[in-house]
Amino acid sequence: MVNSVEMRGIVKKFGTLAANNNVDFSAGKGEVHALVGENGAGKTTLMNILYGVIAPDEGSIQIDDRKVHIGNPAVAIGLGIGMVHQHFKLVPSLSVAENIVLGSEPGSRGFFDRLAAMRQVAELADRFALAIDPMATVQDLPVGLQQRVEILKMLYREAKILILDEPTAVLTPQETEELFRTVRNLTSDGKTVIFITHKLNEVMKVSDRVSVMRAGRMVATLNTSEISAAQLAEKMVGRSVLFQVQKQPSEPKEVLLEVKDLRVMSNRGLEAVRGVSLQVRAGEIVGLAGVQGNGQDELVEVLAGLRRSTAGDVLLRGSSSKDFNPRQVREAGVAYIPSDRIKVGLSLDAAIWENMLLGYHATREFNRGGLLDVGKATSFARELISRFDIRGAQVGAPVKSLSGGNQQKVVLAREFSHGRRVIIADQPSRGVDIGAIEFIHKQLVAMRDRGCGVFLISADLDEIFSLSDRILVIFHGEIMGELAARDATVEEVGRLMAGVNRRGGDVIG
Amino acid sequence: MARSRAQLSDIGESRVAWAGHLRHLAMGILKPSAAVGLALLIGAGVIWAMGEDPIFAYQTLFNGAFKGAGNFVATLQYTTPLLFTGLAVSFAFRAGVANIGVEGQMLFGALAAGIVGYTISAPHFLHVALAMIAAAVAGAVWAFIPAILRARLGVNELVVCLMLNPIALLLTGYFSSYPLKAPGPTNKTYDILASAQLQQFTNSAQLNTGFILALVLLAVFWVIENRTGKGYEWKLVGQNPLFARYGGIGVQKSIIGAFLVSGMVAGLAGAEQVLGVYRAFYNGFSPGYGFDGIAVAMLAKNSPIGVAFAALLLGALNSGGIVMQMMTSVTRDLVKMLEAVIILLLAADFAITSFKARRKVAKAGTAGKSIGGGQA
Ligand SMILES: Nc1ncnc2c1ncn2[C@@H]1O[C@H](COP(=O)(O)OP(=O)(O)OP(=O)(O)O)[C@@H](O)[C@H]1O
Ligand SMILES: [Mg+2]
Repeated sequence: MVNSVEMRGIVKKFGTLAANNNVDFSAGKGEVHALVGENGAGKTTLMNILYGVIAPDEGSIQIDDRKVHIGNPAVAIGLGIGMVHQHFKLVPSLSVAENIVLGSEPGSRGFFDRLAAMRQVAELADRFALAIDPMATVQDLPVGLQQRVEILKMLYREAKILILDEPTAVLTPQETEELFRTVRNLTSDGKTVIFITHKLNEVMKVSDRVSVMRAGRMVATLNTSEISAAQLAEKMVGRSVLFQVQKQPSEPKEVLLEVKDLRVMSNRGLEAVRGVSLQVRAGEIVGLAGVQGNGQDELVEVLAGLRRSTAGDVLLRGSSSKDFNPRQVREAGVAYIPSDRIKVGLSLDAAIWENMLLGYHATREFNRGGLLDVGKATSFARELISRFDIRGAQVGAPVKSLSGGNQQKVVLAREFSHGRRVIIADQPSRGVDIGAIEFIHKQLVAMRDRGCGVFLISADLDEIFSLSDRILVIFHGEIMGELAARDATVEEVGRLMAGVNRRGGDVIG
Repeated sequence: MARSRAQLSDIGESRVAWAGHLRHLAMGILKPSAAVGLALLIGAGVIWAMGEDPIFAYQTLFNGAFKGAGNFVATLQYTTPLLFTGLAVSFAFRAGVANIGVEGQMLFGALAAGIVGYTISAPHFLHVALAMIAAAVAGAVWAFIPAILRARLGVNELVVCLMLNPIALLLTGYFSSYPLKAPGPTNKTYDILASAQLQQFTNSAQLNTGFILALVLLAVFWVIENRTGKGYEWKLVGQNPLFARYGGIGVQKSIIGAFLVSGMVAGLAGAEQVLGVYRAFYNGFSPGYGFDGIAVAMLAKNSPIGVAFAALLLGALNSGGIVMQMMTSVTRDLVKMLEAVIILLLAADFAITSFKARRKVAKAGTAGKSIGGGQA
């Protein structure tokens, strides 16, 4: 096989921490190469080096058997390398076509030829069978389509090597399927796709070869067909991993959280939640399945006190909390893991201890007459860091110095640590590695067994199925059905998620 | 086994963190110093172009600022108002509030202190305290306008502050020229009573106990910013309001609070000038201390310790500038120019780093933008 990428002896240190420690990596022409490893293993760092974002301390890179020096992304783009980061960088107010051509706009003498751009983008989308409306405004598109715009942007610049950093973390199962189809199309076109993911079933499904990193080193590169998901997991974390948390049947007790005929408007003034009723009891995990954008965000925001409902009621242990602000919700014993850790769940520039203190800075434990007990807050943070095994964390360092998965652990550590009774977990394991997912799932189950009520919102059906005692499915702001997890099937849930009713099969909405 | 691994990595990590802290600290000092150095260099070029000897000019400036007790006292006197205004601006910046209306808030503080200074009579300490409280309240009231507009209606505080500054100048000017004018040729209020005066240290200069008060205030604000629950809230709202709100912090309240506190400090800047230096409110007494406060805050990187050094630097430039003007043909305008260049450099650095940061995150998105055209 011809190698289109070859990286040799890559070393990158941050201080004394070796994010990449003498890493060799190669990817062949026309192959899908999965790159896996725990949070903080150094995957993003390695790919950022390939894309010229980070300069390596040592090591060499060859592209198509030619030694190259990639000083910045511009050089990488010139060499036919493209990268889609986990957090998209599109201009929300511009159209699809404008976003795609941005930086290499068609036109002459400084004038932008909008029509030509539209035409080129339409042709490009056609050629790669990536259906999209070039005139749509990016901010109106669902995440899956925004990602498609990012991919088209790379293709527009004629990338031959495409790096996708955790592309499926934000996608629905359907969108993931479509992405895989795209990936296969691209490789049959002779392009190389490097694919970072934490989901091993995706590795098994889509990749030809897989490279495993652990603690800054490359531990193995294997043909996907010659290895099982379990073996791969073991290579990643150095021990065997449980894919399915073990849990006893639930023993639901009193109702902790109750939602009654709730109606909520979205930011765009449409009714996003249309008469939802549900209950979460002590000692059970209730999973809310649904394709993103069907009212989950609005529902959860009301529960968290971040948004007002227009009708209906929310009861916490029997008393109405519908008009609570976030502080009152917290004080009523609710833990909330927001789905967007970067925008909501963390302050990236603040220190790790400051992030872990949020919500408790005014409690007697950490605050005496207005004065913060910084010593206590930092030792509390230190304890959480070791209890939650947050790698690379130093209490005084800003959260942004952590890898994505370890940032998520900071959120979890804070929300799980104050003896709260109701846990609202919105995509709790987004972007974390399998070892950490196992850990998070175990924690959620342990919380349940301790008598907490857990409300789990997830776009990941595996997660819903492995954790929930009861499954609710939401579609167009309405609960389509409730199933006991024991006898629910993926097919049935999938049907409900698509708005197909159990009996009739007619589409509602 | 697991523990020993954790301990080992702990040692490594603390070293990393230390290196990080040191680098952070070094950059925090390095960048402002570089800006100052570069500004001095550019200034030297200008002096040379004027046909003067830059080294001699700077020497007189430096000596004029620091050599001899008299000069040094004068420098501290220039530094004092900048300590107040710099603190007011930097405190607001840190809380995510761009209070560039400190000049106007200071003017109202000064007027209030001046009025209380002659209209009531009270024992010395009480009188001073009352005048100061009046000044702080007046500054806060004037700051409340942009605060409420920003918090309730989302109106940009930069624009509001910019408009309120000249209004404050004209209004205080009107009061001191008409209804409250003391008899005489100058537009000023009545002299304050002796009981309201801040003690001056020497007979020849106006450095007064307000300077000590400013230093105490800096220490207090260091504690507020770094060791109190409120300071923590202000900082988080400044960094990420969504996160703060999610954590149960009232963002609007926090913004209003920060504005009011900043306005109070600005008001105290005015009180120090009236009670300690001028002993009456003079129309247009301020050469722009409120605006210099913005420069101080930018140099100080939003820390009270930084404010102390940055205010001293600008104070020294101003007081040394007078001596330089007397001894050479270089006028004090050079100092204004140096200040402007420093701000420009720091603002450019800020723009560049935030651009770089955006770029770093944007990577694919924006990286191609500058070069794509060339390639196509
Ligand atoms: N700019 C930086 N400064 C300091 N340390 C960093 C920096 N970037 C990354 N690191 C550290 O380097 C290590 C590797 O980070 P990297 O982002 O490559 O991990 P990753 O494998 O992509 O993890 P994840 O799956 O969580 O995204 C981590 O320990 C991280 O804390
Ligand atoms: Mg990563």
